Amino acid sequence: MKEPLIKFKHACLGYGGNPVLTGVDFEIQPQSFVGILGHNGSGKTTLLKTLLGLIPCMKGQFTSHGANLGLPRYGYVPQKERLDPIYPLSAHDVVAMGTYRKLEFFPRLRGKDGRGLIEHCLAACGASHLGQKAYSDLSGGQKQRVLIARALATEPEILALDEPLAGIDITTQKALLKLLKQFKEQRHLTILMVSHRIQAEKGLFTHIVWCDEGQVVMGPVDEMLSHGRLSEIFKAEL
Amino acid sequence: MSQLLEILKPGFLLHHALYGSAVMGFVCPLVGVYFLLRRLVFWGVALPQVSAAGIACAFMLQGLGWSMLAGAETQEKHLAIIGSVVFTGLSILFLAVMERRGKGVSEGRIGALYALAWAASILFVAWNAAGETEMLGLLKGEIVAISENDFHAMLDIFGLIAVVMFFFQREFLLVSYDRDMAVTLGRSVLVWDVLLYLIVGLTVSLGVMTVGPLVIFGFLVVPPMAALPWARGMMSFSIIASLCGGASALGGFYVSYTKDLPLGPVAVCVACGFLALSWLARAAWSRLKGRRAHTALPAV
Repeated sequence: MKEPLIKFKHACLGYGGNPVLTGVDFEIQPQSFVGILGHNGSGKTTLLKTLLGLIPCMKGQFTSHGANLGLPRYGYVPQKERLDPIYPLSAHDVVAMGTYRKLEFFPRLRGKDGRGLIEHCLAACGASHLGQKAYSDLSGGQKQRVLIARALATEPEILALDEPLAGIDITTQKALLKLLKQFKEQRHLTILMVSHRIQAEKGLFTHIVWCDEGQVVMGPVDEMLSHGRLSEIFKAEL
Repeated sequence: MSQLLEILKPGFLLHHALYGSAVMGFVCPLVGVYFLLRRLVFWGVALPQVSAAGIACAFMLQGLGWSMLAGAETQEKHLAIIGSVVFTGLSILFLAVMERRGKGVSEGRIGALYALAWAASILFVAWNAAGETEMLGLLKGEIVAISENDFHAMLDIFGLIAVVMFFFQREFLLVSYDRDMAVTLGRSVLVWDVLLYLIVGLTVSLGVMTVGPLVIFGFLVVPPMAALPWARGMMSFSIIASLCGGASALGGFYVSYTKDLPLGPVAVCVACGFLALSWLARAAWSRLKGRRAHTALPAV
């Protein structure tokens, strides 16, 4: 078994001293495709924000390390509605943000801006034709492609997506899932995807993290989605 | 025409005032674009008034016998700068901390701060027995009377602000647009926020002393609003806003000089004229584009 990328041990997660999830205990292996599932308000986003380092782990242990034993490089895809449409940015400008990891003085003075990488990422997401369009004018599915391209431009080890299929028609959902599957296989990425439903994507997940009533349970997808197991954990019905 | 040529001559008597207002007009919108994008336009109203209250407070203290820098005109300017910077800095700190906590109504806080600053300015002026007229002049901004030294100091500081705004545009954009993304990229949102707020504080403090609270608010907000419908990216947004601000300052100076009107209000009116033109042109452009698209539709 490989060294886990992410490891929670008896962790307690939450905001401002208020615990949202307790007894969090799981590991994520490299190159897995993990669905973080649960109802609205169950703590999925809290878990994702802790993983990304946006909020600290309140208690217990949370460790994550990338290929060079430092912090793993995350490519983050936020909920598309979170980004303010007032900004006059093209899709190209949005993807360019993925290259802003370093404060490089001299390349900037020379006008080098990672244009090749940006165009490559847009092409990989089937969004080359959107590059010069205003990001705020794009449809939900197009925005999602651009945000995934931005995440790829960070050259990530882990791709973390927050409800990427929300508000998108079924055809586009299928196309985006196909794209993610392709990235996992070709780029050997670890993918974490928050969702509150599991119809379209359950075939892709290798593992599922269930969040409910302040608790988190993780397991392989087949085990977690079996009717008996679900009833046992959450008294829920699929 | 002859008056325009007179203004453009190198030996023009008010050339420092002309260049000074142009510098303000070009640089303030570079900072103002972030007021608009971060939806902090009301900061642009409140902070100049707070800065004015700081100037009034410093002079009041001097009038009450705290004459730490009393005397020459230069020292009075220093006193005004200290008052302005301290009040503006503390207010930005207060507003920024409250914003980060995310509790309460942001607009309500800014409104209360504005009302307090306005009331305090009037009271500080009323309590200042000495030099009321001179202080009222400072509060309104006296760019026409700007000295050689003040002009060069202003040029240095606003030049530095312009360089920082352009060079760190990526960082300011990233932390303004998507703070979570900035953190995942290993960027310190706090550091870049503090730098941006420092620049805002410096711009507002010096701007209020140079052109007064009304004009600084006008230059911070109106040119970016005029530029936004035409912007295609942050660089073009900043450049169009800056050009619009600079043109408003120069146009305002010309009208003010030829019609013998106060410079600040005229410059703001010219900027608002650009805003109206921008909106009208955008509406006409959208209508034209719509018509073209309609005619280009294939017949069914």
